[in-house]
Amino acid sequence: MSLHLLLQSLLRRKVVTGLLLVQLAMTLALLLNSIVLAGQTWQKLHEDTGLDLTNSLTVELKPTTPALRQYPALADLLERQMAAVRALPGVVAVAYSNQPPLQRGGTNGNLYDPDNQERSNINNVPVYQVSKDFFDVLQIKVLEGELPQAPLLKDGEDISPLVLTQSLAQKLFPNGSAVGRQTNAGTVAAVVDDFYGQRNGVNSNYNRIQVAPLYSVDWGYNLLVRTEPGQADAVQAQLAKVLQQVDSNIEILYLRSFNEEHNRLYRNEFGLAVLLGLLSVLMLLVTMVSSYSNAHFHALKRQQEIGIKRALGASKNMIFMELFCENWLNTVAGAMLGAVAALALNQGLSAVVSIPAISWWLPLLATLVLLICVSAATWYPARIATSVSPATATKTL
Amino acid sequence: MEQFFYYLKVSWVSIKRAPLPYALTVFILSLGLGVFFANATFYYQLNSDPLPHKSDKLFFPMMMLVPYECADCKPPSVLSYANVQKLKSSDIPTAEAAMYSSDGYLRLDSTALPTPVKVRLTEPDFFHMLEVPLLHGAIWPDSKNRQEIVLSKAMAEKMFGSTDVVGKQLLLDDRSFAVVAVLDDWQMLPRLYDANNGNHVNEVEDVYIPLETGYDLNYLSNTQSQTFDDADYRKLASDGRSKALHQLQYWVQLDTEAQQQAYQQFMANLAEDEKKAGRHPSPVNNQLPAMRNIVAYFGGESGDIKAFALVTLLFLVVCLFNASHLSLNRYLSNQYEFSLRRALGASRWQLQQQMLADVLLMTVFAISGALLIGFGGTALMNYLWPINALFARWDLTLMLFLLALTFAASYLVTLYPALRASFGALNQQLKE
Amino acid sequence: MIQLKNLSKVFRTELIETHALRQIELQVSEGEFVALTGPSGSGKSTLLNVLGTLEHFDEGDYLLDGQSVRGLSDRQLSALRNEKIGFIFQGFNLIKDYSLLDNIELPLRYRGISASDRKRRALEALELVGLAARKDYHPSQLSGGQQQRVAIARAIAGQPRILLADEPTGNLDSLMARQVMELLEQINRQGCTILMVTHDPDQARRASRQVQIVDGQLSDAAMYDPLAAKLA
Repeated sequence: MSLHLLLQSLLRRKVVTGLLLVQLAMTLALLLNSIVLAGQTWQKLHEDTGLDLTNSLTVELKPTTPALRQYPALADLLERQMAAVRALPGVVAVAYSNQPPLQRGGTNGNLYDPDNQERSNINNVPVYQVSKDFFDVLQIKVLEGELPQAPLLKDGEDISPLVLTQSLAQKLFPNGSAVGRQTNAGTVAAVVDDFYGQRNGVNSNYNRIQVAPLYSVDWGYNLLVRTEPGQADAVQAQLAKVLQQVDSNIEILYLRSFNEEHNRLYRNEFGLAVLLGLLSVLMLLVTMVSSYSNAHFHALKRQQEIGIKRALGASKNMIFMELFCENWLNTVAGAMLGAVAALALNQGLSAVVSIPAISWWLPLLATLVLLICVSAATWYPARIATSVSPATATKTL
Repeated sequence: MEQFFYYLKVSWVSIKRAPLPYALTVFILSLGLGVFFANATFYYQLNSDPLPHKSDKLFFPMMMLVPYECADCKPPSVLSYANVQKLKSSDIPTAEAAMYSSDGYLRLDSTALPTPVKVRLTEPDFFHMLEVPLLHGAIWPDSKNRQEIVLSKAMAEKMFGSTDVVGKQLLLDDRSFAVVAVLDDWQMLPRLYDANNGNHVNEVEDVYIPLETGYDLNYLSNTQSQTFDDADYRKLASDGRSKALHQLQYWVQLDTEAQQQAYQQFMANLAEDEKKAGRHPSPVNNQLPAMRNIVAYFGGESGDIKAFALVTLLFLVVCLFNASHLSLNRYLSNQYEFSLRRALGASRWQLQQQMLADVLLMTVFAISGALLIGFGGTALMNYLWPINALFARWDLTLMLFLLALTFAASYLVTLYPALRASFGALNQQLKE
Repeated sequence: MIQLKNLSKVFRTELIETHALRQIELQVSEGEFVALTGPSGSGKSTLLNVLGTLEHFDEGDYLLDGQSVRGLSDRQLSALRNEKIGFIFQGFNLIKDYSLLDNIELPLRYRGISASDRKRRALEALELVGLAARKDYHPSQLSGGQQQRVAIARAIAGQPRILLADEPTGNLDSLMARQVMELLEQINRQGCTILMVTHDPDQARRASRQVQIVDGQLSDAAMYDPLAAKLA
């Protein structure tokens, strides 16, 4: 069917065609941005955290009596709790920590090289006070130096040396090894593998760890547990009971797998992606309804025209193709407008949420999806249109 | 009236003649409105003003009274005890209250199971400034250290089974406190007095104790606390009061323009004095945001809700386009009848009446659909973003807004096609 | 050219069966100008539609150029229509959205003729009906007579062997009707077979043969006396 004739008949119905085009454009714009956002969320949910997400658990808890929240009663409680958890079948290792990894924010502080404070200062580095098994639980390899085995105390002050993750060490001491160097928070004893600490930090892989006792836990603390593969659920089911048995003066604030913690980090993004995805599906549905009704109405309205064409020798298939071509033309034109609209929406969204730019092949993919949906919706009305009897359609009243 | 019923009947007959296009129109309209409405609920509630007559008279003073030097820093969004004392030296405000929040465990006696509670440590003016309703008893006359507690109505009922419990004792973290007052039902949404880090979406606290008691008993802040020197955060009573340990919100009530200007001047003078004393190394950067703007000041507006708002608005527009498109098709198929009516002597006015009946009917169907979809949408959003769950409430304003919007949308969807159908060339249509 | 053998067509609804055409026997030779007459509802339009393959028939056979159209697929029938038959309707039936040239090119387009060839032939046809100067006009800009001339141009542009005309002058005043008739006669003289439905006895008399149809049956045209028919 000739493009020129199609255009001519489209132009004769400016309002209806215009409405359809605007709508197709908006659908494509939304579809594109949803895909982009969903892709980004998927990537984040599958990023490398440096941690074994499936076989690790974290329990956040807090003693309900003030006495148990203070050293030394607290130290005793921690030992009893860790011993009980370690004895559970399926548990490989357990450690305490003032806060777990995989968080948005938490306890953090700045860290700098005292010789070069101005230039080396890094804000919001998570601060972990942990028992020595922490590294074993998280399966973090030592890259340099030696892990401190016990807390170091001097005049009642905690002077435990620091363990830094690799990217933090490199950032802080770009020239040469960090081990043995001084920082504002103490000497560096070891450098370990990166792992995901806090999302709100400068870099989620920056972490500063000290093997140190917990002196007070007014904000609660965490027990981190590594289980044998496949045992996480079984261990998780028993943890609360075991901890209550050790000492009932505790409140268990939550009990989660690392996987859950990681998912919670991107809960908002996930929510937005789901909602936008759902909206895109609805939008496609609306577009299909509109294509359907457009084709249907069109066929009714142009019964006579179709009848004439049939009399002039157009076969049913030709009429069918003609109707389809018209819809495809609309869709492609709408898609082109849509690509522009998508860029505008992308800009608008990037002002309020982080969203990556649209890559070149996405509009093509989205247009294809749109074409398939539109074709499916046009099928039935087009079939009906072709079965118009030319004899009745060409009859004059 | 009889005429109106006749119009409704005509609408109904024309719907019944072609139910599918009509159902699709209503469906699409409901979908657009419902999705938009679900998001608008959160958007409206999150941006609503719980104290509309007063939120422009309450202010949060923030200054660069910190031991470090920073040329382009915002002042800390929580204040130290010492800095609050400096600000309190002014007698310009009508009322003022410093506050923070903490966690605790409440029990009736040492044998009972502990109930975890959120505690607000504050001063008497907190209740006056925010117009907190009191059911029983009286608030402390000042914020000095006293083992006296104020309970919310719900907490009093939970602990004692009744609300008239003034004078009774209970244990907060194993220390004995006397109940001095019980609040009436009160929920400030959003909770603007503590809006830092998006905390305004949380519920108000259930337990209140005096600020000084909190410092003396070492209640650590459960939200943001920062130290800018060697202060030990575990020594609130000493370091907390004298050093740069920042954890307080501080609100002042400045009723008049004159008061507000005077207070600005006071802050400027204070900054100058502190500079001279060497305690203000950074350039002066005084901020005095009103409670009305505090969420925006802290950058706590929800980006996701905003992004989705943008998209749902687009979706609504698409649905409107679509519905009017469908409706246009429907009217054009009915064009013959329209023309016939006009040929039989119906005036344009009468046809417009008919159209109005169509609009009303469409509104009724669309709003039913929109409410259903809106309800489902809110539930889904609650599931995906539980943090905003407190704001999934429909009130009268919101419902009226939806009604108006639906009517406008139905009108729009009906108007254009109907105009085209009713004002087209009469004889031409009849001939066709 | 055209051979109808014992052809019948029945319209069925739930309640009644109408015999639109009963056992029609008709032969039309190449180059004839046949006028189909008869009272309204007698089945003349139905017969024309069957001849144009726009409608199916129930019994008998229809041979076009010696070939039976029975059992041909939609595609084959469409091609047959396109190549051998031209239509002229009472209501002109031009496509409103298209220019005159596009309207005339339409059947050639379906035949798959190249653009330049198409345009040349369409222009020639338009020339023949005297409207070449208005090739870019739209149908609504023309008078009824002019529209019918365009419709004739469209019908003959594909050089069909048969022209089927259903009351081609029914919507026209007498002057215009005469012009259209002259045009048809001119086309007939060039060798095109024409079958024309008409209720106008004067026009019918101008044809080389008259065929009358009454109640779906052919009657002897020679015996047809319009005056007697009116009296009856």
